[in-house]
Amino acid sequence: MILSRLKHHSDTVAGLTSLAAMVLISVAAFYGLIGFSGQGADWQLLSDNYYQSILLFSIKQAALSMLLALLLAWPVARALYYGRLPFQHSFLSLCILCFVMPTLVLITGLVALLGRDGLLTPLLGESWNLYGLNGILIAHIYLNLPFAVRVLLQALHNIPDLSWKLAVQLKFSPWQRLRLIELPALRGAFLQLSGFIFVLCFNSFAVVLALGGGPRATTLEVAIYQALKYDFNIPEALTLAWSQLLIAGALFLLIARAGRSNWLAVDTLSHQFTPQPGLFSQWGHRAVYLLSWLGMLLPMLALIPGLYQSDLSRFSLSALVQPTLTSLVLALVSASTAITLAWLMLIPIRQARLQQHNRRAMVLEWLSTHSLVAPAMVISVGLYILLLPHFDLDHHGIWLVLLLNCALVVPYAVQQLRPRLLQYDAQYQHLSQNLKLSRRQRWWVEWPFIKPTFISTFALILLLALGDVAIISIFGSDDWTTLPLLIYSYAGSYRIAEASLASLLLLLICALIVWAFERARHHA
Amino acid sequence: MLEVDHLAIERDGTLLQYQLSVATGEILAIQGRSGVGKSTLLSALAGFVAPCQGDMRWQGQSLLGLPAEQRPVSMLFQDHNLFEHLSVRENLQLGFSGKAPAEALNAASVALQVSDLLDKKPPTLSGGQRQRIAIIRTLLRPEPIVLLDEPFAELDPSTRQLATSWTLHSARAQQKTVLLVTHQQEDVTRLADRAIELG
Repeated sequence: MILSRLKHHSDTVAGLTSLAAMVLISVAAFYGLIGFSGQGADWQLLSDNYYQSILLFSIKQAALSMLLALLLAWPVARALYYGRLPFQHSFLSLCILCFVMPTLVLITGLVALLGRDGLLTPLLGESWNLYGLNGILIAHIYLNLPFAVRVLLQALHNIPDLSWKLAVQLKFSPWQRLRLIELPALRGAFLQLSGFIFVLCFNSFAVVLALGGGPRATTLEVAIYQALKYDFNIPEALTLAWSQLLIAGALFLLIARAGRSNWLAVDTLSHQFTPQPGLFSQWGHRAVYLLSWLGMLLPMLALIPGLYQSDLSRFSLSALVQPTLTSLVLALVSASTAITLAWLMLIPIRQARLQQHNRRAMVLEWLSTHSLVAPAMVISVGLYILLLPHFDLDHHGIWLVLLLNCALVVPYAVQQLRPRLLQYDAQYQHLSQNLKLSRRQRWWVEWPFIKPTFISTFALILLLALGDVAIISIFGSDDWTTLPLLIYSYAGSYRIAEASLASLLLLLICALIVWAFERARHHA
Repeated sequence: MLEVDHLAIERDGTLLQYQLSVATGEILAIQGRSGVGKSTLLSALAGFVAPCQGDMRWQGQSLLGLPAEQRPVSMLFQDHNLFEHLSVRENLQLGFSGKAPAEALNAASVALQVSDLLDKKPPTLSGGQRQRIAIIRTLLRPEPIVLLDEPFAELDPSTRQLATSWTLHSARAQQKTVLLVTHQQEDVTRLADRAIELG
């Protein structure tokens, strides 16, 4: 008995230690900034017009992005659910690729498509301008809509066959089906998605940096970057950072409290019966599906003509080898560490949920995902300043990048793994206890249940780590360059063909990873 | 002997109270209207519900201090008795401290007419087939107390008869102390030494 309690405690301690380490990274970063300047935040900034316009724009663009992404994702998810359309698996894989697409690749594609000399720009009239709110919204929708489609589709799949059979028996009208079956099934997903997408767009950095500009199209995150890079005004950066942390953090907490994920959905549900849509609806679903394919593929295809814009014959492909390898190794190590940390952090959360200590579970969940709402720029610069006197960051900065990349992808791993593990606990915890399964047996039983989710989670965070540029743009050095940083430097010096080539390569690697992991998941 | 001594459990603002004893090797049927607390009693004995007063003793030793994993109890729940992602064979082998008794499991599978389902996964089985598989494992596990919560609810009349007679035979052969929650009088007649009505 003592031995089993000790094992139980050691799991909890490992989980709490991982959580403490994650919190420590954020605390150390803020401490680094405050300690360096010897000043706190500049609260007078709150009444400044500049601050207010940035805050308003951050909220406006995030709210619009979220609203449009969800409104557009819903018909796509319905088309997939009702439509029985060809190549659905490929479409869903493409959705993942879009969600994790390195921002720089997307921006290069969007500029090639809708920029000043873009392929589609002549069709859009003279007043069209990609830069500003237009471009930011398009990029945010492109990144988040496919993710929303997958989540909404999953929520629709969780509707039991029996509900549909009952609806048919009771001769429900389409409106009744929508109101009494579909909307209640989607409500939780809508709520969670709206919070998640809002927070992602509110904290958006690379998209706004590339397509925004000026106080009229700047988010808090970009303003923090500008305050640190151009003025090195730490009090201003801190004020902006606290604002971002408080607003995004509070919203995230609210959504976590109000939203109900569908982890109680049980695996025994069978999906063999969905109502057949009418002929008009069927054509509508097909049209929506076709447009979605086009919308997702066009920015990728637009990269290809860029290759012919200048002479690539002088370009040595070997210039891409080292950055590609560095990116892959960095992403692999970051993702492996992040998924281990996430798994460990979920142990005390699962225990709190099982003991019905919901408030404790919520606090732990918030702490485990807090780096999603903490300003990445503050964390990177704060740690940089803190560590600069102790480490040669020019040569060993790669370790810091690894740490930061890992910290930034951990919340995604937690978000993805949590519902499946909680579902396992809800479904099988009593049975496991009653069967007196040993630790090894528990693992043997739990692993096949969690394996498909584990694989897709690992792929997701691997891809996110692969494309991250927010941090690397500060720490990158000549000793080691990553592929996103290379694209950034090519685009910065208007070497569009090279930027397109590097973007295509990065996209190809991402697509290969998505394909390989989707295959592994299906076989799991 | 299993003793439930002035046990009180609070559930949704209501205090449920229990007082009973079951001799070693006895089969006790528990009946009563829905919501009276039959399943709650089994959950408390298995260690999933904490009582607010009283005691539960097995052979004179209190069970209260023991976590669910260490109680001498094998329980059949109303649902979720099988891991959906494991095969029937893998499911049957769980819950034994050493090697699972292959011979006994095979014989039971034949007796309960599920021997051709061993390599299938639970989602492909009917409710009655799943229930029979869960009954086999619950009875064959080396725990002296067996708690059965509506074990035959999903079975048709002929498999019901088959399952009750196998359960009776198996429980007697292993000297199991069985608490059986059921709404069916025929289960009581076929299986139980004694029946009590809760509420």
